[in-house]
Amino acid sequence: MAQVVAGIACSHVPFMVSPKNWERLNAGERANLRAGFDRARQILEAARPDVLITFADDHFDRCFYDNLPAFLVGVGETARGPAVADFGLPQVSVPIQSDLARFIVTEGLERGVDFAFSEELALDHAEMAPMVHLTPRWDIPIIPIVVNAFAPPMPSLQRCFDVGAFVGGCVERWPGNQRVAFLGTGGLSHWVGPPETGRINAEFDRWFLERLTRREIAEITTRYARHADLEAVAGNGGQEIRDWLAVAGAMPSRLRPQVLAYEPLQAWFTGTGIMSWSAI
Amino acid sequence: MSRYQVDKLLRDLRRDPDLAGRFRENIDAVLADYELDSAEHELLKRWQIRELYDRGVNPLLLLLAHGTTGRSMRDYAELMKPRNRPNGG
Repeated sequence: MAQVVAGIACSHVPFMVSPKNWERLNAGERANLRAGFDRARQILEAARPDVLITFADDHFDRCFYDNLPAFLVGVGETARGPAVADFGLPQVSVPIQSDLARFIVTEGLERGVDFAFSEELALDHAEMAPMVHLTPRWDIPIIPIVVNAFAPPMPSLQRCFDVGAFVGGCVERWPGNQRVAFLGTGGLSHWVGPPETGRINAEFDRWFLERLTRREIAEITTRYARHADLEAVAGNGGQEIRDWLAVAGAMPSRLRPQVLAYEPLQAWFTGTGIMSWSAI
Repeated sequence: MSRYQVDKLLRDLRRDPDLAGRFRENIDAVLADYELDSAEHELLKRWQIRELYDRGVNPLLLLLAHGTTGRSMRDYAELMKPRNRPNGG
């Protein structure tokens, strides 16, 4: 049987792609964030994943209000990116673990998770910006799952955790012998476009990270069961914690959660965090 | 208000550099291709993004489209202030 071997959750603020944007951080911020990404990459490498399942959202470059699934699984042979050239992202073509992706979709449709699926799902900076730092050789087959954490109305936080748990269960039912890691990206608090653009709520971010570390998921999902309540404290960008919760849901209890870095980066307009679940 | 049509235009500006170029040069011709009411037409023509936001237009789309109009981020912050709403806000 396949097994879940590690999880990473982190912000995907696109400024992280360009070296010149790192120079806009102060020395302490830069060192902490670099150490966090280095540690996350080491954890992934030590876990030796054969497949990386991503939970990430979109920025209207792949999905729009004309056709907007809650959970969309890329099942084709290859994922190309970026969907829209921007932020200095490289042009990449990453293989998709298509057989497992189709298994997840079929299992979902038969067991109560109505996944949408795509034969031609491009990658967004939501996956690519962290992968520049975490899997820079682009050689690990992926299964991209787009979570609607950007265009209200959205699936609830609890639903995102539960769908993550379902996908983790699919991996452990899959008759292959792959080692599977998860990557969830987005958040933490930031406001992208509203009048509060540039605001960060570090208090919320640290509270959220502590709840995840203590596996106190219900505290998060009940306190912020309503979209508007989360928006008020974490911004429209903070809605992306859905992707972190999906990874948390996929993690077996044998993998220990820990925070690798957090910085409220004014220069990047984003509460920027990195977390891992691992056996080490 | 046909909010969807405004969101769609903003999405298209982000995806289509040629459209963004025409939007800068001949905005009325571009707006004519979308099912906008007269208020939306004027708000887009005058780039009154705070009013569009207050009417429920998606702020992420507003920000992404703002860059394609040739305006700066500083302009964006300024335009989002309440005093830049029509009639004083």
